[in-house]
Amino acid sequence: MGLILLDSLPLHRIPCYGLKINMSRNSIKILPGALVCEESKLRGDITIGSGTIVHPRASIIAEAGPIIIGEYCLIEEQVRIVHRLPFDQRNKENSTPVLLIGSHNVFEVDCNVESPKIGSNNVFEAKCFVGNRVTVSDGCIIGAGCRLTEEQTLKDKMIIYGSRCQMREGLDKPQPQTLQIETLTKMLPNYHHIKKSNKKN
Amino acid sequence: MSYIITPDIVRYACTCGLLKPISNLYFCRYCTQLRCSFCVCHEVDTNFCGKCSENIPSSEARVKKNRCGNCYICPCCEQELSTRIASTKTLSDTEDTKTTPKKMYYLSCQFCRWSSRDVGIPDQSTVTGGWPERENVHANQLQELVDMYKAIVLAQKQQQEKDKKKQRGKYLSYTDRTGVTAAALRKRIGLPAELTHPLLRSKPKEPEPAVAKTEVEKLPIELFTEPINLMDITTVDQRLLQPEAQPTTVDKLFPVHKQLSIKRTLRCKSCEHNVSKPEYNPSSVKFKIQLFAYYHIPEVRIVTVEPLRAGQSCELILKFTNPSQHQTTITILELNLEQQEVEEAEVAPSFDNMENLSLQEKQQMSLPSMLSQPSSLMSMSTRSPTITVKPRKISENVNCDVDVPSSTFILPPRDDAAEYDDSGDTHNIQDDTKLVKWRKSNKAYVKLNVTPKEDLGLNSDVVCGFTMQHVYTNTITGQMDKKEPQKYDHKVKVFLHLGKLVGSE
Repeated sequence: MGLILLDSLPLHRIPCYGLKINMSRNSIKILPGALVCEESKLRGDITIGSGTIVHPRASIIAEAGPIIIGEYCLIEEQVRIVHRLPFDQRNKENSTPVLLIGSHNVFEVDCNVESPKIGSNNVFEAKCFVGNRVTVSDGCIIGAGCRLTEEQTLKDKMIIYGSRCQMREGLDKPQPQTLQIETLTKMLPNYHHIKKSNKKN
Repeated sequence: MSYIITPDIVRYACTCGLLKPISNLYFCRYCTQLRCSFCVCHEVDTNFCGKCSENIPSSEARVKKNRCGNCYICPCCEQELSTRIASTKTLSDTEDTKTTPKKMYYLSCQFCRWSSRDVGIPDQSTVTGGWPERENVHANQLQELVDMYKAIVLAQKQQQEKDKKKQRGKYLSYTDRTGVTAAALRKRIGLPAELTHPLLRSKPKEPEPAVAKTEVEKLPIELFTEPINLMDITTVDQRLLQPEAQPTTVDKLFPVHKQLSIKRTLRCKSCEHNVSKPEYNPSSVKFKIQLFAYYHIPEVRIVTVEPLRAGQSCELILKFTNPSQHQTTITILELNLEQQEVEEAEVAPSFDNMENLSLQEKQQMSLPSMLSQPSSLMSMSTRSPTITVKPRKISENVNCDVDVPSSTFILPPRDDAAEYDDSGDTHNIQDDTKLVKWRKSNKAYVKLNVTPKEDLGLNSDVVCGFTMQHVYTNTITGQMDKKEPQKYDHKVKVFLHLGKLVGSE
């Protein structure tokens, strides 16, 4: 939450934790067909694919490098997607890492995702936390309230559930929420201000 | 409602001597005594399924092994499974005339996303039931054992009856007078002459005993060579959920029938009146009888405590709430744990008189008087002598003195509409301003001075206690032709955990 403070501070007083991009300049690319609500909080270099819906009060913060979100993702209220490197990787002078988020991912209400790489067809259930050392591949489900912090790579179709973060392997990938996205694309513009798409295909 | 989840800071001494928070206590109006879950009889009222809210008679529940026939729980995470519709078109049919999409149903867990398809259970065409039941491999052997033990029980019963008959025969032998032997008499009626029952003669059939093998299967070498895939192996919880199958791999997890829940009736052991009786309907959460202490005994809560220092007096503010519909007067008395021992000693001789009670009843009296046998059995067999529970000594290390106030205070009755009453507190109660700091409707905030003992170490828990005497108005009418509500002085010992001792300034 310190990032809110950063915006209000004068530039020369921003504490530098190895940030490579200028936080005060946002460069948001919204592809046509995406639905990004005005009240959402987008910081840094973010590309949002077509068909993706970003609800109001969702925050996407590209702190360590650009974030590229694929198609037909559903990012619900109070979701925090933060691109933040672990402490030991911050001072490396390599090229800026890019957080790639695949397609058909669902970020449910109040989940907190800091993962460095996210595949497709994943579901992050409400109030879950995925730390910045956890790589998520395809078709995973992170259950409600689960906290993943240890360094690991979730294999395909992994399901994490319960208070003890038990794991099991799913048979199928979770169904894409096309119906929900369809409804929202009709409903949301009626009640919210939508950011205009600024990129052409 | 925080007192339900917070640690037990304020505890009341039950009549049996155990300390419980007020939310766990009952109050028997007929004995005017506190009762805890150990001093009441627990009787199963109804069996029901928590998912489909269906009432299941106890006989049926026993046949179904206390499980619901229609509802399942997830074998993976023990949550309830829900039925989902899969409108798969019957593509497998080669004839194109059958194009109507058939609704198929499968079970799925909303929590861990387990589904009946995971283990290859075919989808069903009906919403409820029809799910394949797995046969227990040992079903036959278990049935044999059950049959054998049933036969043994029967044989023993008959043996006992026979012994009784023999004893009676010593004194009542009419056959001697009439000259007709019992065997002859039986023959005349048309019964076989032999007295012994056929079941008695034929010894219960013993099942084949298990045979120990000298040769066992070799340990599969794969155990050491192959890497384990933890995703395929079930957890201990999952195995114990199905004790009859104990699946070792995930693909053998099959849905489990949901266990039934019960509604209990609680009955005071001394007077056999109900202290809690739920409504019969499973979906109702109301009670027919609910004599919870929370509705009768004034509730004590800690508002503030000054930092506790050994040997120094500090201020403690307590909130007293009157839950009843009658005005009550509260007197704070000294907690006298030594006196309790004297009382016990007086009580003890009366137990000698009960030596002629049967052994079974004595066992019930012994503490802790947990009910180990089915309560219905007990209440049927020994209805007349009520069970008196000898109170045990309160084992609480009280290390803080309470300055007992000389005056008493009044708590007005509870008024549900008081919240909406803007006229302010109209009651004119003359309070001892040193004792009662503030009051609002049926609540009073009382200041007490407590002194932790001198020899207490730093960070040790400070516990104080007092006896709260309150006027209890008994509204049971028709008792001994007394129409006026009876008033009693009821005493409760209250123990407060005040927190840790801090160092001196």
